[in-house]
Amino acid sequence: MYTLLIVQLAVSGALMGMVYALIAYGFQLTFATSKSINFGQGELVMLSALFSLTLIDTGLPYWLVVPGGMLFGVVLGLFVERAGVRLALEQKSEGWILLTIILGLLGFSAAENIWGRDDRPFPTPIPSDPVHIFGIDVTPLELSVAIGVLAVMGLVELFKRKTLLGKAFEAVSADRDAAQLMGISATRTIQLSYGLSGLVAALAGILVAPITTVGPTMASVLILKAFSVAVVAGLDSGFGVVLIGLFLGALESLTSFYLGSGWREAPGLVLLILALAVRPNGVFGKASIRKV
Amino acid sequence: MWKRLLLIRGAELAVLALLGAIPLLVDNSYVLGLLTLLAIYGILLIGLDVTVGYLGQVNLAQAAFLGLGAYAAGLGVAHFDFGMLAALAMALGVGLLFGTLLAFPALRLEGPQFALATLSFSALSATTLNEWEGLTLGAQGLQVSRPPVLGMTLDAPGFFWLCLLLLALVWLAMRNLLSSQWGRAFEALRDSPIATDAMGVGTYRHKVAGFALASALGGLAGGLYAFNFQYLQPQSFGYDLMVILLLGVVLGGRKSLWGALVGATLIALLPNLLSNRELFQAISAVGLLVAAVAGARGLLRKTTRPFQALAPIVAMGILMAGSLIVENTEDWRKAIFALMLFAVVVGLPEGLMGFAAHFLTKLFRIAPPPLPAAAALDVVLPRQAADGSALLELRDLKRYFGGVKAVDGVSLTVRAGEIHGLIGPNGSGKSTAVNVISGLYVPTGGDMLLRGKALPVGSLFKVARTGVARTFQNLQLFSDLSAVDNVMVALRGVYRTPIPLVLLGLAMGEEQRARAAALALLELVGLQAQARTRARDLTYGDQRFLEIARALARRPELLILDEPAAGLAHPDVNKLIEIIKRIHERGISIILIEHHMDVISELCSVVTVLDGGRIIAAGTADEVKRNPKVIEAYLGMTDDSAGAAAPALAG
Repeated sequence: MYTLLIVQLAVSGALMGMVYALIAYGFQLTFATSKSINFGQGELVMLSALFSLTLIDTGLPYWLVVPGGMLFGVVLGLFVERAGVRLALEQKSEGWILLTIILGLLGFSAAENIWGRDDRPFPTPIPSDPVHIFGIDVTPLELSVAIGVLAVMGLVELFKRKTLLGKAFEAVSADRDAAQLMGISATRTIQLSYGLSGLVAALAGILVAPITTVGPTMASVLILKAFSVAVVAGLDSGFGVVLIGLFLGALESLTSFYLGSGWREAPGLVLLILALAVRPNGVFGKASIRKV
Repeated sequence: MWKRLLLIRGAELAVLALLGAIPLLVDNSYVLGLLTLLAIYGILLIGLDVTVGYLGQVNLAQAAFLGLGAYAAGLGVAHFDFGMLAALAMALGVGLLFGTLLAFPALRLEGPQFALATLSFSALSATTLNEWEGLTLGAQGLQVSRPPVLGMTLDAPGFFWLCLLLLALVWLAMRNLLSSQWGRAFEALRDSPIATDAMGVGTYRHKVAGFALASALGGLAGGLYAFNFQYLQPQSFGYDLMVILLLGVVLGGRKSLWGALVGATLIALLPNLLSNRELFQAISAVGLLVAAVAGARGLLRKTTRPFQALAPIVAMGILMAGSLIVENTEDWRKAIFALMLFAVVVGLPEGLMGFAAHFLTKLFRIAPPPLPAAAALDVVLPRQAADGSALLELRDLKRYFGGVKAVDGVSLTVRAGEIHGLIGPNGSGKSTAVNVISGLYVPTGGDMLLRGKALPVGSLFKVARTGVARTFQNLQLFSDLSAVDNVMVALRGVYRTPIPLVLLGLAMGEEQRARAAALALLELVGLQAQARTRARDLTYGDQRFLEIARALARRPELLILDEPAAGLAHPDVNKLIEIIKRIHERGISIILIEHHMDVISELCSVVTVLDGGRIIAAGTADEVKRNPKVIEAYLGMTDDSAGAAAPALAG
């Protein structure tokens, strides 16, 4: 019975880990094209979820709310790129770190004042009554998260491999200067990557909202774990984030069982610092050759 | 000289005296509280500026170190019955310890990964302070009593004077440190970590030291914070405070003690400025005006990009509109910080003090400190024996990148005192060979001996310390440092003062000697007149010469010049030849990688030709030029047209 409980905890944790993986995937998208990430991505997740909640409140059906929220995420992603990232990249500085933190803070404050500081439930048509699979309880809600995450990641990868625009994306990721010499606009491609990154962040927010409830602080712990997943897996490792996400989700679920729920953030943070110390390019990342 | 000293030191003393006198003039506990907070933030921000300003890394852990220091001091008093000074020492020590522990893993990283590591550390420290209830009482909060100092109980003004005294001491110590080799090394490694290592300065240990120091100051400030508020809660040291601290450093001005003080003043006053609606409206109006004027000026003079001029105006415009609409500004505190930070980061990257410094230097016509007379070259760069003994030996050296055999079994000997030319078509492995010798790449196989002893492999830093110096094909100057500072960073065997004495300001004599030596080397390459020019503002040719002077500051036995003539105009090429001859006269052995055959012919006694990672010819310049294999490698011809090709090569 005890073993079953542990497995149960690990499985529900791992399913939550899929959300971290999805947000981490958003970091990878922008890192690939521009070597930059949005430090305010958590606020993007949260704002998209709150916006979707407002759409639901206006009476829109769930199946229209999802694309609506995702579109909102794209718009926010584009805004972050324009206001916080482009100038710093043009100046070849790391000013984008500070600027994206600042934009995140602005978004947080706006959310506090527009939607209030309280956490609210997020209605969803997907049932949350558990089903038994091999003696373990899994809710369709949790499964929907996993399926949604894999589906959107698969679609984005398909887009990158099969469409011309996607190939431009890959070209800029491989070598920005060479791609520009071939007539691909790096600026447009980086814009595209931030748009896509906003899209997956918004989807992450919509998927996780029914489980965590929605409020300004909903993403503040989520994002730390997404950072951990991205760094531990490697910022350029593709599907490595899924494995690490599953692992970290299970690990923190067990930590909170053994040490108390206050410590549940600890393993991710320790893992991140350790990973940086041992493998700075991540478990699945490639070491780059320094050139002079 | 005196005017400069008088104005700058005078301003420091005047501000200190003014701050110290306020409690005597005004009997107001609220004002006193603000002043105390200002002094504490001052110490904290001076520390944060070391990482954010000098090392150029976004450090998100300073608020966490403040918290750790505060709890350390509080618990020291509660559990060990420490006096104030012992508790403060403990706070400083805790900051130093955790700073060092975090620095070792985190500082192998750059940019975003570093920021993430510090962010994780902050979250981890907040979790621990919250959850370790047995020690910290968690969210309930910890009462701290203010212990006596050397048996004396401090009242509020007394405690403020203690904080101010510590701020003054920290200020002095940091001024000494940052104007020494340490400060130069911090700035150098921000501009080019690779060159910093290649100059034997040691990127990693300087970064670790800088970060540990910053954290120690955070801890000290935390100790004072604990005794000021006498009540601690984990959530006081979270993300919000971190953003406010960054606002302080950026708004005040990076890389400046004055900037840190201005920043500390602003963030100490900020909550009060925001709570008064009229005052807030006035501030946002001033902000909008400044952004509009600065933006318009930048646009008209075309010194800024449109975004850089317009974005701050938009941000300040939103702030202004908000101040008129919003009833309770306290609710929008974070957004207000964000808008202000955004406008400053985009529109005024040098901060208020950076801006004011330009202005004040012009207003008072403050001359830069005078340069000493150049030292004698014989002292700076003593003549070495050019006895033709084997200096560097490569035996079957190999370096593969995957399947690419960039260097594939190269054996050669460089003899003391010779200029050894290394030529070959593009992609023949010259630069890779040099990168392996200088420690940037680990060899795939083979041996490298310097004077019969194995050369360290795979570490620029260690190789630099054995007496091998190099320049870079793509310039790797410390672009924000002046020419003379570029050379000073690399000087070998001058900086001996241990760090405690540097903090006490006892490295002045050493600094003057170093500067005189650097000037002698600048003279050698003809740059004495540009000693104060920032490296990035030098002409391209002068930048190449500066790299050579900087490499010479290592007092090398072996100097590797990686395509020094690349991109040089003809007069500069002649100047380069003169410089290399002068270096050669001092008995320094040189490996010269070049494409210009006339440079090679004029300078080199021995030439080795590489192609496809292998040696295809060796001998004097003339022998090599006539070698059919060489002609084939360069021109792709095989047989009797060789004779006709030789003159083309010589040109």
